[in-house]
Amino acid sequence: MDIDTDVRMMVSRWIVETTRAPSIAQVAARTGHGADGVRESYRRLQEKRLLVVESDGETIRMAPPFSAVPTQHRVHVGPREYFANCAWDALGIPAALGRKATVHSRCEQSFAPLTIEVDEKGPGPIPCVVHFAVPAARWWEDIVFT
Amino acid sequence: MLFFRSEELVKEWCRERGLPQRPLVTLDQLWQLAEAWYKNRLTPEARRPMGDDMRAIFRRVGLVGPFWDPEVRDG
Repeated sequence: MDIDTDVRMMVSRWIVETTRAPSIAQVAARTGHGADGVRESYRRLQEKRLLVVESDGETIRMAPPFSAVPTQHRVHVGPREYFANCAWDALGIPAALGRKATVHSRCEQSFAPLTIEVDEKGPGPIPCVVHFAVPAARWWEDIVFT
Repeated sequence: MLFFRSEELVKEWCRERGLPQRPLVTLDQLWQLAEAWYKNRLTPEARRPMGDDMRAIFRRVGLVGPFWDPEVRDG
């Protein structure tokens, strides 16, 4: 397994198991690649749009569909609560895990709570639409806003 | 990419921020996108769809037009 796959898989497994992102020291210790090697790997994974790191180059902000920081999109899978980056990723978490989930989010205008039950067939019917404010070609210009 | 209870509430949200209203996606379409993007994301073979793969996914989900083209920056 190449270093980028090794690092990505370790980060993913860590988040799935703990619901939080690992530190660079934890990734380095677990993979044996060293902090500098992990930092370089993070840069390449971000170029492939598989990871988003903060400006320090070593703090994970997003490992899509997971968010490393709290958001309004909370996804409950069994006893675990994950944060998603956006509406798309809120459904992406049960899709990635292949598990039933309950998404707790909100209407961004009225702030009314939204609860979406998701099973293997997809989300249950609720009155809800999703608005994409940014064209696809610009999503990664400011992925946090997108 | 945000949830709203209705299209009317999307219009209010855009108006208050001086933003143009963009395409709306149904929950069913969003699930199809989520599966296409993330079903294999936790596997060693995972890669994010790019370029023509993105176009094919959007077309299959019924999302067409320049807004969804990954190379049309003013879509």
